[in-house]
Formats: sequence, structure tokens, C-alpha cells
Amino acid sequence: MRRMTKTAALLTAAAFALTSCGGNDEGGNGGGGGDDGGPTSDVKVGMAYDVGGRGDQSFNDAAAKGMDDAAEEFGMETQESEAADGEPESAREERLRTFAEAGFDPIVAVGFAYSASVAKVAAEYPEVHFAIIDDEAAAADNIANLVFAEEQGSFLVGAAAALKTEADHIGFVGGVETPLIKKFEAGYVAGAKAVTPNIKVDITYLTQPPDFSGFGDPAKGKTAAQGMYDGGADIVYQAAGGSGGGVFEAATEAKMKAIGVDSDQYETADASVKEVIMTSMLKRVDVAVLEYLTEVDGGNFPSGVERYDLAVDGVGYSTSGGFVDDITGDLDEFKQQIIDGEITVPTE
Amino acid sequence: MSAVTTARTALASVRPKGRISPWWIMIGIAAVLFLLAVLQLVTGADDLASSGTLRATLIASVPIALAGLGGLWSERAGIVNIGLEGMMILGTFGAGYFGFHYGAWAGVLGAAALGAVGGLIHAVATVSFGVDHIISGVAINIIALGATQYLAAQAFSGLPGGGATQSPTLGDVQTITVPGLSDLLGDIEGSNIFFVSEIAAFLRAFVTDLSLLVVLAIVLFVLTFYLLWRTAFGLRLRSCGESPVAAESLGVNVYRYKFIAVLTSGALAGLGGGFLALVASSTYRDGQTGGRGYIGLAAMIFGNWRPGGLLAGSGLFGYTETLGLRRGGESVHALLLLIAVLLVIIAIWQWRRLQHLAAGISATIALGAAVWYFATDSVPGDFTRMTPYVTTLLVLALASQRLRMPAADGLRYRRGSAG
Repeated sequence: MRRMTKTAALLTAAAFALTSCGGNDEGGNGGGGGDDGGPTSDVKVGMAYDVGGRGDQSFNDAAAKGMDDAAEEFGMETQESEAADGEPESAREERLRTFAEAGFDPIVAVGFAYSASVAKVAAEYPEVHFAIIDDEAAAADNIANLVFAEEQGSFLVGAAAALKTEADHIGFVGGVETPLIKKFEAGYVAGAKAVTPNIKVDITYLTQPPDFSGFGDPAKGKTAAQGMYDGGADIVYQAAGGSGGGVFEAATEAKMKAIGVDSDQYETADASVKEVIMTSMLKRVDVAVLEYLTEVDGGNFPSGVERYDLAVDGVGYSTSGGFVDDITGDLDEFKQQIIDGEITVPTE
Repeated sequence: MSAVTTARTALASVRPKGRISPWWIMIGIAAVLFLLAVLQLVTGADDLASSGTLRATLIASVPIALAGLGGLWSERAGIVNIGLEGMMILGTFGAGYFGFHYGAWAGVLGAAALGAVGGLIHAVATVSFGVDHIISGVAINIIALGATQYLAAQAFSGLPGGGATQSPTLGDVQTITVPGLSDLLGDIEGSNIFFVSEIAAFLRAFVTDLSLLVVLAIVLFVLTFYLLWRTAFGLRLRSCGESPVAAESLGVNVYRYKFIAVLTSGALAGLGGGFLALVASSTYRDGQTGGRGYIGLAAMIFGNWRPGGLLAGSGLFGYTETLGLRRGGESVHALLLLIAVLLVIIAIWQWRRLQHLAAGISATIALGAAVWYFATDSVPGDFTRMTPYVTTLLVLALASQRLRMPAADGLRYRRGSAG
């Protein structure tokens, strides 16, 4: 019996070790440059990822790329840490505090999930500078809010969909019905209606907050998109994170088209679904992070809201695959009108 | 041994009356389709019984049904398995890893094998060490999530199309399409003849792109029913869930049967996870089970710990989820009318059985649904996503008085306690 207890204890310990590994996989990608005679810098950048972390082929990866580029260009030291699914607020706060205590400045928080924790920890460490992506709510003198005009980029792909559809019937699949994703929807619908005022747009969100599983459930994305294609839509735009792959699959099976999001998904998607990705709405998180760190390298810590829109190419659309080559003229015209303020894109 | 045989004959003679035969199942399906056909005609919502909806229902139901079947095996042997979700998660990773490296069928085996590993942990904890079933199950859910996140980061990082949270695209298992029949039924479905179109759509869902894994799942249901209710092995296994003490006194090795049951349970739940990764989508994705293991558990309770009822429960859940995700606003709006009518019938029935309070509640809800139906044109997205859960709650609330779980389910059993 005693041996059994020992075995049980061992098993438990092993289990704990495993869980903690999975939960918080410290990247330790430190010292981006500065070894072989490259540029050196005293700046130590800490990056706290949202769920998914480096390797998610989307949002977090884009932030990582911005940091990597900065590390290479300026020789900054970098350190990263990622969030676990469903972790409590305190875990995010602790992650930021750990960076602050270890002397990292600035600290970049990736994703609106960090809003409350950045506001709190920034107040505790007024000397340290923070940047948060996709959030305006956390406001302080030592916080920079890097936000995007997703609705403007979505407007362009919505216009592209309306120009390309043969059925005057398109669709939108959102991951979770949050204010952020509603911006994508609003821009998309406005863009489509700018081209064809009476176009039919199907809209489906996979889950409602606080259930965030809609960002990681490709099966649901596929079902929703299938419903739209079966119902007569021929182009579906997805802003559904990890569920988006399901939308591409449904498009492949239905021999219809889909529109990607955040990064140029034609480049990252599997070869079997590549051909259905007509274009992607680009959200240049990498550009935003790189620009922020460039400022930091110059000794200047920006604070407040910095909006990346069409005018600075913070958002846009991709042309890989050549499916929209024939309409880029129209799209660029819309783009110019938005930049000039002739068209105001709604955000909700 | 002869005692067991006697017990078996005794049990056979007191089988509940009204046992469901295949004929009754067919009549039931036809009745449901008829109801939907009427509903389509009345409301004009034409996505309720289209072959697209029914095929998607099939895909949405199978993972839930397989998890529920896992729960059934385990609970029939007296072990509550709340760790189904964790075992499913292990299954998704198994399918992702083995499916990517060695092909889809290896992925199927890998999913079942990794699920069984989860089952093994649960069995060791609950059967050998007598740990509380709920605690062990919850622990497995947590461990499985962490372990797969860690393993996925190791296995898929840097692969083309893969990353820390997802695998590269996985190949699919083969699908069957009966060439002529599929098109023929499609034509009939398109002709919009009342009820005939719905029957054609239903049949078409089974002859068009039917995944072999769906077939396998159906076979597993039949096999489970046969093994657990038609063989001496099944009787012994179920006796461990009803009265392990009595089983032990008759010479049944209770520990062994519980181990077999929980291992099978894990393998089935793992298979459900594998189905999610291989058929319902084509990738392992962190968090893709989305609570389906718990839903499977609910479907099993809903089905009164029996395969047929479990299948109906999973089907109901899969169907309502699919409706909500496809043309949710319109389809769920049509369902409101159905709910109103059904509840009126139930209210009348309850009133005649002198359950006046219950009848009043049913009638009130019916009225509410009817008002909602006639006052609006579609249901907002917030509600369409709730449909499966509300439906499950409603049905459970109406049916729960008639449910009976295995008598020794969830109880700690120690060898030799028969004295």
C-alpha cells in the first residue's frame, strides 16, 4: 500500500509538472542580436502574448515578427511569455509584473485580454512603459495603445466581395461577438453595400462572450460557412481566428471563395485550401510593433492611442494569388476616398 | 457461473416493456421528418430539413455521441466519468500527431489510443486507489489540456501550416458517395414535394460524402448495445455498476471489469476527439473540443444511460447547434412555433393527469414562445447560439423524473467489501 501511495504521489507530481509546462511555455528567445558585431541596445523588450502565442500564424505571430525585426535592427534584448487558455486575471497581471521586476522596459501586451491587467500594473510601475495592442480602455501616461482601423480594411474586402460575387449574396463568419469583431463586420457590410446597395449579407457569430471557444473551433466555422454556401452565398469573409480554417474547407468543398483575415492567409494556408482565398484583410500588427519599438529606440516612449489605418498602411488587403488583380483599381479608389475622408466607415 | 446465467435469464424475463425495435426507430425518424416538413410548409423556413443541414447534423452529433458512448461504458460499470472532455482533448492531439505523420487511419487509432491513456489514468485513480470519481475526472480534464498544449507545441511548431496551437492540415478518412442515388435523391429533394423532399434529403445525407468514421461510429453503437445487453460479459460489466458487492459474491472480478469499461470509455471519447480533428475539421486545434465532452455526458443522462436514448440526445443537440450556426435567425424562429405547439400538447396531457401546476407552467411557456414567434421575423444571434442548451434543459426538465442511473454509479468500491 505504501508503495502505491508513493507511485500516486509521483504520478501527481509528474502531472503537475506537465500542466505547468503546457500552461506557460517561456520562450527564452533572448538576445535577438548584438552578438556578432551587430547593433546593440540597452532596451529590453518584454512581450506578453495572448492565448496561442508565437506560432499561431496570425495575430501573435505578427506581433512576434515586429519584435524580431526590431531586435535585429536595433539589437534589443527580448523576452516572451504566453497566456494559457482560460487563465485568471491575476495570471496576466503576474506575467506583466515579472517583466517589470526583471527590468524590462517597454513591455508589450498582445491583445485586448490584457486591458485590465495593463492598466493595473502600469499604475504600480509608473517608471516602466507599456504598450497594448487592440485596446483603448487602458489609458495612462506610460501606456501606448496600438489600435487598428479594422473596419477600413474590412470595407475594402467587402467591396472586393461585392465586385466579385455572381449571386449578389455574400457572408461573414465572426468568431466571437465582441465589439472588436463587430468592427470587422460593420466595415465589411458597408464596403459591400457601397458597391451593391441591395446586396444580401449573411452574418453568423460562432459563440457569444464569455464563451471564447468560437476562435478555436474549426468544426463550427465549417458548419456556419456551409450553411451560407448552401443558402446561395458565394463569398464568405471570416474573422474567426482558429475557426477560420473551417471556413476555407467549406469553401473548398463548395467550390466557392473565401476571404482571409489579419495576415495574408493565401501564403500560410494549406495547399489544399489555398486557391479559395480570394484576398485577405491585412492588419499589420508587425508594423505597429516595429514602429513603436523604433520610437523607443530613439529614446522616445509614445503614450496614448496610436491608430493604424489605411493612410499609414496599418490595414489593407492582399493580392496574392491574383484573384483580385482586375479590381484593384476600384479598391484603390475606395481606399483613397477613405483616406481623404470622403467615405466614413462605420465601426458598429 | 451458473448463477450468473440464471440471473441473466431472470433479467431477460423482466425486460421493460415496449422495447424499441428497428421499426419503431424508422417510424420515429419519419415522424420527426414529417413534423419538420409541416413546419417548413407553415413557416417557410426551408433550411430545417435540407440535406445540407442533416449532413452537418450528422457531423456535429457524432463527436458528442462518441463521448456519450464513452460515458455510458464507464457509468454502466459504476465509474462516473467527468473526464470525458479531457480524454477527447487527448484524442484530438492523437489524431493530429499520428494523422499528420502516418495518415488518417493512424490518426483514428492514435486518437483512440491516447483517449485510452486518459481512461487508464482515470481507472487507476478511481478503481485501484479509490479516488473520488469527480476529482479524478476534473484532474484529467486539467492535465489533458496542459499536456496536449505542451505536446502540440513540441510536435507542430515549425511545421509548414502548423504552430504551437494547431497542427498542419490533416488528410481525411475516405468518404462514400453512392453515385447515381445521391444525384437522384438531390433531384427529388429539389422538387419540393411535401414530405417526399424531406425523406429524400434525409437519405441523401447518408449517401453523399458519408465519412467512414460516421459508419464506424454507428457500428460502435450497435456493438455496444449487443455487448452490454446481449452477452454475459455485458451483464457482468453492468452488474459492477448496479451492485459490485453482489457481482463479487458471484465471482466476478469487479476491478477487471471496471478497468475494461473505463479504458473503453477513454478510447471512445478519444475517438470522438479524433473525429473532430479529422472529419469535422481537418486540423488539430487547441481548445477545439469546446465542452463537447460535457455535452456528451449530458446526452448520456438525457438518454437514460442507454445507447438509443443517447443517440437521440446527441442528435437533438447536434441538430439544434447546426440550425443555429447555419441560417440561425430564420430556422430557430421556426422552431419557436414547434415548441409552442408541443408545449400546448404537453400542457393538455399534464392537465389531464391532474398536474395542474406543471400544466400551467408549460402553457405559459407555450404562450411566450407563440407570442415571440408571431411578433418577430427572426431570432437574434445571441439566442440562436443558446438553442442547443435551452433545448437540452427543456427536455431534461420534462424527462428527468423518469431517468434511472446505475445504482452503484459514482460509489467507491473496495475489493473484498462483500465480506
